[in-house]
Amino acid sequence: MNGVRRLRASSEQPHRGRTPSEWGPALIFLLPSIAVLGTFNFYPALYSLYLSLFEWNGLNPQRTFVGLENYARLIGSGEFWNALRVTLVYAAGVTLTALLLGVGVAVLLNQPIRGRAFYRVLYFLPVITPTVATGVVWKYLFDPTQGVINRGLGGVGIVGPSWLSDPAWALAAVILVGIWKRVGFNMVVYLAALQSIPKTYYEAAAIDGASPWQQFRYITLPLLAPTTFFLVVTALIDAFQVFDLVYVMTAGGPLTATDVMGYYLYRYGFRYSELGFASAIAYVMFALIFVVTVLQFRFSRGGGQVDR
Amino acid sequence: MKGTWFKAVVFALVMLLGLGVAQKLTFWHYWDGANGQALQALIERYQKDNPGVSIEAVFVPGSELLTKLQTAITARQTPTMAISDLVAMPLLTRSGALAPLDDYIRQGTLNLADYFAGPLVYGVFQGRRYSLPVSASNLGLFWNKNLFRQAGLDPNRPPRNWDELLSFARQIKERTGKWGIELFTQGGEGTTWQTQVYFWGAGAEFLNANNTAPAFNSAQGVRALQFLVDLVQKEKVATVAPWGLFGRGEAAMVMDGSWMTQFFPQQVNFELGAAAFPFAPGGRAATNMGGEQVFIFQSSEAATVRAAWNFIQWFSSTPVQVEWNRNTGFLPVRRSVASDPAYRAWVGNARPLMRPFVDSMAVARPRPPVTRYPQISDIFARYVQEALLGRLSPQDALNRAAQEITPLLR
Repeated sequence: MNGVRRLRASSEQPHRGRTPSEWGPALIFLLPSIAVLGTFNFYPALYSLYLSLFEWNGLNPQRTFVGLENYARLIGSGEFWNALRVTLVYAAGVTLTALLLGVGVAVLLNQPIRGRAFYRVLYFLPVITPTVATGVVWKYLFDPTQGVINRGLGGVGIVGPSWLSDPAWALAAVILVGIWKRVGFNMVVYLAALQSIPKTYYEAAAIDGASPWQQFRYITLPLLAPTTFFLVVTALIDAFQVFDLVYVMTAGGPLTATDVMGYYLYRYGFRYSELGFASAIAYVMFALIFVVTVLQFRFSRGGGQVDR
Repeated sequence: MKGTWFKAVVFALVMLLGLGVAQKLTFWHYWDGANGQALQALIERYQKDNPGVSIEAVFVPGSELLTKLQTAITARQTPTMAISDLVAMPLLTRSGALAPLDDYIRQGTLNLADYFAGPLVYGVFQGRRYSLPVSASNLGLFWNKNLFRQAGLDPNRPPRNWDELLSFARQIKERTGKWGIELFTQGGEGTTWQTQVYFWGAGAEFLNANNTAPAFNSAQGVRALQFLVDLVQKEKVATVAPWGLFGRGEAAMVMDGSWMTQFFPQQVNFELGAAAFPFAPGGRAATNMGGEQVFIFQSSEAATVRAAWNFIQWFSSTPVQVEWNRNTGFLPVRRSVASDPAYRAWVGNARPLMRPFVDSMAVARPRPPVTRYPQISDIFARYVQEALLGRLSPQDALNRAAQEITPLLR
């Protein structure tokens, strides 16, 4: 939504200049938030950039300046590329699937069916459930012998895998939970968007003889494009930073099958006490998310302006 | 004349106040529940016997204590004393923030020779001692007597070596369909510290004598890992699955910690046995060990450090440690506690499953006290998993682990 608003703002509102006399009062009004953000966001973030040039374990009185060595070490390490690959697979899997399911559920729950509100709440519940609790419960569901999933599969004659202990299945299991947690949010945002599409479009299309599929394809989907854009950006940013789910469900394992960037960073920063190297990981993560966001703004500009 | 008198009175008052006002000490720890209460009770008694001292015990969740200590050291806002899991001691001793204890120990009443060798390995840096062990735990064998009976085994006879362990496990799998033994296969330190027991039991070492290079990829090490891989891949008496099979009665034996002598009896619905963990034929008895160490932060005020030391010395004395271990279920760090008649009587009556764990303290070995141990442990565990899953041979897995770990020990 942010992106959409910004695009509108730049073209719809006339640019107003500011006189120098406005700066003083503006600064005073901004001071509280500058102080808070500065202390708790900007200073630590910049300090972390500074730390990424050092080798430091957080306790040693001496920090060794190593320049860009932490970054070089990162690029040269197989662990980093593995973490990047796992993160991309997770991000793509969760973002795309949750998007498709989200729009599907939203369209269905936009119909006048009985118990609509109930179903909407049901789909939204995972979003507001704490991730740690979610992870713990799914861990039980995925248990190879006692878990509901494998018992269910056993009921139809399939021997389910040892989900979270099998390197081939663990990431898929975590992605599944990621999707489950994301669909409800996508649904709510899509529902809002669907309800803002004027009924007249559909009526006109119906009179012209458009089938329900054609109506969906040529009216609904294009008008949902800005929403989709917003959801893709936020979902990708979310997915790139996934940590808690992995921490609770698999601790990055088995082997390195679910070692997403967030967990990789955590391992080095908080378990191996390599604060410099972990800061370098954080900045590479930041750069990646930044690039992805910029690319999306570029590619989606057309889509973002359809509804104007 | 009057002025001098006045000065003298003021001076005397100040002196009295200095003595009278309590020496305030803060003590950061992560002992919760009954353990925290046991600590508080001891502190209160100490304060009553030593009116000049007041100790404020501050509870910090275990997962946060090291981070909090890091912040405190960086900000120079340290407490008077604190505890830490022994694995973090190498980092802490190198921080330059801890007070060396050697002089206090030399002048004091504490006999270090009475301590078990394992816990004392921690807390030493460049020949100086910065911390003392105050609690311990270790690993042993638990078995399910009901499953042993069902399999036609003597329910009161645990396996004494790996050959028996394997033959018992086979018989259990054959007769009951349950797993013979549960292994911790989920990686991380959980996998490493259990696997180390098998390695030591086969006569292998984890690192070389001065902790500068891996030693686990020796012939004995390969033998130990091969034994574990065979349990899973060849004999199929163990499996790669989430932890918890033993507690649910799906595996007949497990390696678990001394603390479980308290928790298993409340959790399981079968009859339990506990014993020292069996070792390889021709190997040696060995177990792994956890626990906490206590240390004092450097302070410009010598009296504060001295007061903290006095408390630690009292806390570490045999009678107080007997009481401490009885109230917490921690294993003794001192031989005089482990052999204390009152303590042994308590174990026999209240915690009979714990006796083999107490006796194993004599063969409990420390994980190597190196700063990068957490990372080394993760790498080692990952290659153990590779071998257990049959993706690498034990020899290859251990060689590759050694290759990755070597640069971390430089």
